[in-house]
Amino acid sequence: MPNSPLSSAATDEELMDAYVDGDQAAFRSLFERYGPVLLRLTRRHLRDDELAREIVQQTFFRLHGARNDFRRGSKLRPWVMTIAMNLVREHWRRTKRRKMTTLEVDTQAAPEADFLPIELRQRSELLHVALEKLPTSQREVVELHWFQERPYAEVAKIVGTSEGAVRVRAHRAYTTLKQLLASQIRGDE
Amino acid sequence: MTSASNRPDAGLGERLRELDAPESPENGELMDEMFADVTEQCDESDRTIRGFLRGRSTVARRLIILTVFAVLAAIGWYQFPLISEQGRTVSWATSLVAFCILLLTAMLMITRPVHLPALPRWQSVCLVCIAIGATIVAALWPLPAAQAATHDHGSAMAGACMGVGLLLGVPVYALLRLMDRGNALGSLVAAAAAGLAGNFVLKAHCSIPGTSHELLGHASVALVFVLGLGLVHRWIPSK
Repeated sequence: MPNSPLSSAATDEELMDAYVDGDQAAFRSLFERYGPVLLRLTRRHLRDDELAREIVQQTFFRLHGARNDFRRGSKLRPWVMTIAMNLVREHWRRTKRRKMTTLEVDTQAAPEADFLPIELRQRSELLHVALEKLPTSQREVVELHWFQERPYAEVAKIVGTSEGAVRVRAHRAYTTLKQLLASQIRGDE
Repeated sequence: MTSASNRPDAGLGERLRELDAPESPENGELMDEMFADVTEQCDESDRTIRGFLRGRSTVARRLIILTVFAVLAAIGWYQFPLISEQGRTVSWATSLVAFCILLLTAMLMITRPVHLPALPRWQSVCLVCIAIGATIVAALWPLPAAQAATHDHGSAMAGACMGVGLLLGVPVYALLRLMDRGNALGSLVAAAAAGLAGNFVLKAHCSIPGTSHELLGHASVALVFVLGLGLVHRWIPSK
């Protein structure tokens, strides 16, 4: 597929506008921008490579279906993130596999970390385990606030709650993570 | 960008960063493959009526549904006889208004844009329960006893009313499912809406009195829809 006539400096919103107007190459550019970000997000949440890819594809499929709802002047990132988070949540609700995955965590290496040094992989694994222990509502906030670097106001919009509630969830999540990591490290020693 | 003061301390921050591992070398190829699948899926969907309808804006989808409902209601209202003046009581009118409001709520839930946070499942479950409850309450407010003398076979006619109600609900269910972009419990809400539509028509036109007739022939429509279509649809894995 040819590259979009829009330059690589075009904003996400300009690309989305172009896509709504029928520019297929703009969709490709959006996929190139958001695909890897969403893949990391879904892998962290689902711990299943195949499923993560499926959710990313579904996110773009839904984005395609909802493209005519996009209003000029709106921000695209919250759109995409909300669609992806809705799909992840729906997946957990449907399969109720949350507990099973938590048990699998100890034996399953992070998919994206296969080529990392062993020590780093082990540390990453510990952190994954700690993140898994957080309630879904707190994990979502850590994901969006820390990994996606979204401000609290935007996180609140994506998860569908107030900014104050998001701050409380983030505070609790970071406190719990620190405690979990500290206890894990003590356990290692 | 998130301000530093909002961030966890450096130690935790450093560890969190470790999780954001760099992309593996084969990621470019993987992305190409994934994108090819997505475009294929989108093209395939665009060629279907379902894809076409789902691709409309939320406002357009809602207008389409409202127009179809309005046309069906107008045809029914003018082409088929309403119940007699005697039967048009306050409770009768209240039941019809309640069915309309619930139907509208179900439509709004089903057509909710996917870029908004998904509604909690309990809200959908609540709507389904209220819809079934409303049809039962409406059945407990049957036509005035004065009309009862003209109909001796109320219970026997229940099967016919149920059949008509189910038949009328099917297009409503189909329309709502066609417009649903993938809401959680959308099939269950659409089934409840179909039951409400069936009940609306039966309540407006059926002049057979009696609580037993209304319970067996009218209220059962919503229940059959929810238990039948809704749950079966949930159990059969969709594409």
